[in-house]
Amino acid sequence: MQLNSIDYAIIALYFLFVIGIGLMLKKKVKTGNDFLMSNRSIPLWITSLAFISANLGAQEVLGMAANGAKYGMYTVHFYWLGAVLAMIFLGVFMMPFYYGSKARSVPEYLRLRFDEKTRSLNALTFAAMTVFSSGVSLYALAMLMQVMLGWDFDLSIWLAAGIVLLYIFMGGLTSAVYNEVLQFFLIVLGIAPLVYIALRKAGGWQGIVQHVDDAKLHVWKGLSSPANNPMGVDAVSMVFGLGFVLAFGYWCTDFLVVQRAMISKNLNDARRTPVIAAIPKIFMPVIVILPGIVLLALQQQFTGFELPVNAAGETDYNMTLPVLLQQLYPNGILGVGITALIASFMSGMAGNVTAFNTVWTFDIYQTHIRPNATEKHYLMVGRLTTVAGILVSVATAYVARGYNSIMDLLQLVFSFVNAPLFATFFLGMFWKRTTGHGAFWGLVAGTLTAAFVHGISVAEGKGGWITHYTTFYSGTSQAFTIAWIAFLACFIVTALVSLVTKPRPDAELAGLVYSLTERTKDPERRWYKNPLYLGLIVLAVTLVFNIIFF
Amino acid sequence: MDRFLDLRFIIGLFFLLTGLALLLYGVTHTEGSGNNTACGVLFIAFGALMALLSPKANK
Repeated sequence: MQLNSIDYAIIALYFLFVIGIGLMLKKKVKTGNDFLMSNRSIPLWITSLAFISANLGAQEVLGMAANGAKYGMYTVHFYWLGAVLAMIFLGVFMMPFYYGSKARSVPEYLRLRFDEKTRSLNALTFAAMTVFSSGVSLYALAMLMQVMLGWDFDLSIWLAAGIVLLYIFMGGLTSAVYNEVLQFFLIVLGIAPLVYIALRKAGGWQGIVQHVDDAKLHVWKGLSSPANNPMGVDAVSMVFGLGFVLAFGYWCTDFLVVQRAMISKNLNDARRTPVIAAIPKIFMPVIVILPGIVLLALQQQFTGFELPVNAAGETDYNMTLPVLLQQLYPNGILGVGITALIASFMSGMAGNVTAFNTVWTFDIYQTHIRPNATEKHYLMVGRLTTVAGILVSVATAYVARGYNSIMDLLQLVFSFVNAPLFATFFLGMFWKRTTGHGAFWGLVAGTLTAAFVHGISVAEGKGGWITHYTTFYSGTSQAFTIAWIAFLACFIVTALVSLVTKPRPDAELAGLVYSLTERTKDPERRWYKNPLYLGLIVLAVTLVFNIIFF
Repeated sequence: MDRFLDLRFIIGLFFLLTGLALLLYGVTHTEGSGNNTACGVLFIAFGALMALLSPKANK
């Protein structure tokens, strides 16, 4: 793939704009609160688009296209079963506790609801995960640019890291959020023409139906047995593992996305942020999954659309989108497509770095190292943390280049930590008897259970490091199963330990637990202003799509 | 609020400039001319819409 001057001009224009946004916002950042929390002043349309864009990193854009080619329409479960329901639940039920408690981060909510040790456990693992994810994103960007365009690995790493550092250092979270909105439009408008061109070349939807395996064109058909669907997943793992545990665990507790709603101007906006974000989320499969399915149809009709094999000798599905860009985009719009890919990497990286900033400064530094310092001091710490976070991300990218197996291992460990998290929040918010000791030991038990199930099961050659007790049809099926078993373990241990430990007095839990929070009727009757009404409409639309593509 | 500092204006300006570049490239080059021109027009329309949605400057 050869870029020419027009493509480079578009990439340069994008870099200029993202740095310009940081520069423009620099003057508005005066305190630690401005830098790390945007002073809770961001309008609804921006928080909603930033909410969806913070998740629109490279893993989403490249990974979902890859899953589209590998699993077909089954991939939309990540959206129509998982994300949309969880986002509505967050907006309608959970956001009043996050926003109403005045917590500045998700770990801080855990301190208010439980205790310091539960907050510290969550803050430390989250901080480690964010810089690690940021580094992995950087590594993937540099590798992709090297393979696709022959760019120098070091240059890609330092250029992307330098630009992200510049705009966050100057404008803080607001700068990251503003850029996420620009990145959202760029990704959508940069990839949508590719989908249209590819679809037209493949003969439209009719062409897909004719050339793609029917099993890959349904969402629910074949779920009766793992052997009957391309993802190799059973119904329990799909509905409970992905639809409930993993999706709710990510969308309702991951501070990276929840932070975008927490910086809204008021509670109503904070509640509507994830619900409004769910509207474009319903349609995102057209941009991120459909390219993978269209590629399958093109492979049957034309040459040049074959996917390369990776170092392990397996089909490299991650090259789905790059192959389509290479084959279908001429110079000019190719520059837009490449910029969209770069934007997705930078968006993912910036989201992680800003979440890391806030958690490090508020939940670790202010709590354990220097409480009661001035706002100016925390602004300086926030900026220094940005530099440190970016440098650790760069170091992680280089480690990933040399020791890929260590990165796989770390990713696996983090997935164990994440699996049971939703049980802790769910019990904490909806059962007042849940105690700090219960939450802490529940999380530990859930994480250990996830590791144990992975250790006794094998899928696609991975796992089984304790014993080979059972085999899954696919790694995805294994991940979904581990998630729901870990959730149950966390749920049970949290409940049991809570019952034998002393609960906090009811008065201390007001505003933090559902049964102890005064339920004021939402005064807003207009459907588009009421999170519940909006949520029900979004849910109905999602249901219709599930029926159409059953 | 200064219109030039509004995010809608910034996004609009970015897409206007990108669209103009694509349109110019499309009409002056034969390879991929149709796709570049069509995308150029789409981007210009989107950019103009975003810029128009930004609030007018305070006088």
